[in-house]
Amino acid sequence: MTIEQITGRYLTVEVAGRAQRIYFEEAGQGRPVLCLHTAGSDTRQWRHILNDPAITAENRIIAFDMPWHGKSLPPEGFMQEEYLLSTKAYMETVLAVIGGLELNRPVLAGVSMGGRIALQLAVHHPESFAGFLAIEASDFQPAWYDIDWFHRPDAHGGEMGAALVSTNISPYAPDTERANTLWMFMQSGPGVFRGDLSFYTQDDSLVGQLHRIDTAKTPVHFIVGAYDFTCTPEDARRTAEQVEGATLSVMDEVGHFPMSEYPEAFRPFFVDGLARMPSAGAGAS
Amino acid sequence: MLDRMKQMQAALDRLPHLRRMGALFSETVLIKVDGQEFYLVFEKGRIAQLLEGPSKKTPYRFSFVTDEDAFEEFWTATPKPGFHDIFAMVKIGRAEIMGDILLLVKNLRFLKEVLALPRARREVVE
Repeated sequence: MTIEQITGRYLTVEVAGRAQRIYFEEAGQGRPVLCLHTAGSDTRQWRHILNDPAITAENRIIAFDMPWHGKSLPPEGFMQEEYLLSTKAYMETVLAVIGGLELNRPVLAGVSMGGRIALQLAVHHPESFAGFLAIEASDFQPAWYDIDWFHRPDAHGGEMGAALVSTNISPYAPDTERANTLWMFMQSGPGVFRGDLSFYTQDDSLVGQLHRIDTAKTPVHFIVGAYDFTCTPEDARRTAEQVEGATLSVMDEVGHFPMSEYPEAFRPFFVDGLARMPSAGAGAS
Repeated sequence: MLDRMKQMQAALDRLPHLRRMGALFSETVLIKVDGQEFYLVFEKGRIAQLLEGPSKKTPYRFSFVTDEDAFEEFWTATPKPGFHDIFAMVKIGRAEIMGDILLLVKNLRFLKEVLALPRARREVVE
């Protein structure tokens, strides 16, 4: 029998005037590291990092389910709404969680759309963070697919979404973790993946803004997988080159969901990324 | 390439979980490799017929067009980036998908797994 070290609780915060009951998991103590999941998935993507005793010995790893995702319910009245994530709502949600948990300038580690919002926060709210790990992250990615495929009454959006994103999983990923990664997409609520993709593939407001990031105050490290065909290494490099002082690592045998699809291969890159971030309390406001 | 198609057909017959996944799929798909045509006639998740072209009379719902080198790389245990997935092959310009792409997407998991059936098993080193 094993009982994992991860604990999960709920936090209710107000975002844009509405109460959001947010599920979060955490493990460890020390420097706070807030982790963001990808589109169409949830906190379970971070299970291996949250369960890593060497990492959690010095870091308080925290991950939360965005509203509408995982165990975070949609807000009251959602049945009459179309879910469409926006940059503004996403940034406000991250900042509300930081405030609600009273985190003192965490490192922000975001993957895919989480990496995109990490870069937006690096531009617009750097004072709230110690540094940024932008994983599978780029300034903008237009869709090479029709996002409306993933919310329709005659097909299962989750299964279609999982089959689509399997394009971005490395053939080196262990079969078990590939399956677990896809399962989270299959479980995504109707229209949620589409609503996330709307933000990810249509909001280009980060373009032209990245030069504003001051990496002397908040370092930015990019990590990207060679098997990522949504945010390719070229996309990440193009983006990193716009952030003066940013660094970039390429993982040869990994795809778009590194912490979930191939945790063993991702781990050294994540540890290296954390080492590039300020230690706990350094420069705290 | 015909052997590869037969390999796919036989492997599918041995995999009940995959046939169940495709139980509602009864359509014809054209696979074209270096100009060589293969019509896979699916019936309830099985490849009931494997017809060799060329044919201008065989109706099909969509086609996957590639070259032999790309397909053989796709079927290795650990394909190079871009050759590991049919959509990635399209993105790097080594394949084309034409026709009713929504029908493909609705059955995407089933069809991706069927097309990958000739893939070599990866040796896992513990």
